Amino acid sequence: MKLVLTYAIATMGLMGLVFGALLALASKKFAVETDPRVGEIRSVLPGANCGACGFPGCDALAEAIAAGKAPVDACKAGGPSVTAKVAQVMGATVELPKRRMVALVKCIGDRERARGRGEYAGVPTCRAAVLAGGGHKECLYGCLGFGDCVRACAFDAIKVGPGGIAVVDPAKCTACGKCVSACPRGIIEIVPADQHVHVMCRNQEKGAVTRKQCSVGCIACQACVRACPREAIKVESNVAVIDYSKCDDCGTCATKCPVKVISPKPAKALEENAAAC
Amino acid sequence: MDLGRYFLIFLATFLVQNILLIRFIALCSFFGISTSVETSVGMSLAVIFVMMISSTLTWVLWNFVLAPLGIGEFLYIPSFILVIASFVQLEELFIKKAAPALYRAMGIYLPLITTNCAVLAAATEVAKPGFIKLSVAYHYTLPEAWVYTLGVALGYSAALLVFATIRERVDSAPVPAVFKGYPIAFVTASLMSLALTGFAGLFGI
Repeated sequence: MKLVLTYAIATMGLMGLVFGALLALASKKFAVETDPRVGEIRSVLPGANCGACGFPGCDALAEAIAAGKAPVDACKAGGPSVTAKVAQVMGATVELPKRRMVALVKCIGDRERARGRGEYAGVPTCRAAVLAGGGHKECLYGCLGFGDCVRACAFDAIKVGPGGIAVVDPAKCTACGKCVSACPRGIIEIVPADQHVHVMCRNQEKGAVTRKQCSVGCIACQACVRACPREAIKVESNVAVIDYSKCDDCGTCATKCPVKVISPKPAKALEENAAAC
Repeated sequence: MDLGRYFLIFLATFLVQNILLIRFIALCSFFGISTSVETSVGMSLAVIFVMMISSTLTWVLWNFVLAPLGIGEFLYIPSFILVIASFVQLEELFIKKAAPALYRAMGIYLPLITTNCAVLAAATEVAKPGFIKLSVAYHYTLPEAWVYTLGVALGYSAALLVFATIRERVDSAPVPAVFKGYPIAFVTASLMSLALTGFAGLFGI
């Protein structure tokens, strides 16, 4: 009996010691080198895994930045504050961009203002509606409101409003650009957040046609071009386009616009719209 | 080298006494991993690898240490677990360093199966027969132990992969709300198990 006990204790004890030593040795010998900066960079990244940087998630971007495979300002969604922190970790100096950018849906042709041409009863996505003959609106450039952009947003910053048009919440938007690529009509643009004057239409049809399609469509009458004191607005392809580098937000064009498609203070209007939905 | 014997052992562990569907061992990992075929493949590879080597280690341990010293009857469980756990840890370190691609494919399952009951069951049976009374072999030589373990591992993998493919289809089928998820998975598994009982008694196993 006693002998068995000795054997048992000795065997288990010996095995425990041997395996413990083996594992300790192995953990030293097979250690995988990880850059400590990867963890630091990962902790300053937003962590939304939106993929706008082009890498599969924030973990992958942290590794890439530490390895030098991605630039320090790769995270567009994080904005200047994240870029500054990443630059601090990497020991690099970075010039911060001048203005904060947000996404903007350039369409205000909601159910009351835009003419419909029938009921769409297909797959309820914007892309499907566009493929199935252009959607339920007469205007082939407007927002369809099925929410492809809403589903693409990783920050819950865009919603379809009560009028059936998508609206961006500028407070939550990080300008990562996912909604821009998700929109099959291409009417979402990244614009400066402090800019109040925007042309809220991208309809490229001639003025007479646009007038029939939507009561707030840009008819390319050039009234805004004549009014602008800084030549910051031009008409290209039958639609007015503002050059944000020249525009100083005076709003003169908005007062002269006959269809009122240039919003003088769209930021405020959009916030109200966003709050309503 | 009796090929017939090897064949019978393999058939017994692979089909007739399938560890998942007939003996109902290691079901938690079975239901957990089988939601996608991709993860099931990784898990199967890891299980085959770990089981084969663990059984070899436990067979050696039993026949050269535990049995001669007469301490096997009461020490076999802790010593087997010690050996298996240490081995899996060592293996994980090694694979992480030597083959990062393989590690990404199946490395995360290694800690999961360290004390998986299927691994322990197979490892114990080849070393200390009598757990399950297979009429075909009672005291295994090392090659027989390998065939036994291969049968268990492949039986586990086959059942897991088949179930995963079925489950992927069932997940998108119009299942009544009460049955969605695990209930219908259990029903499916029990039907598979019923099918496998058709092999019971094959060749007198």
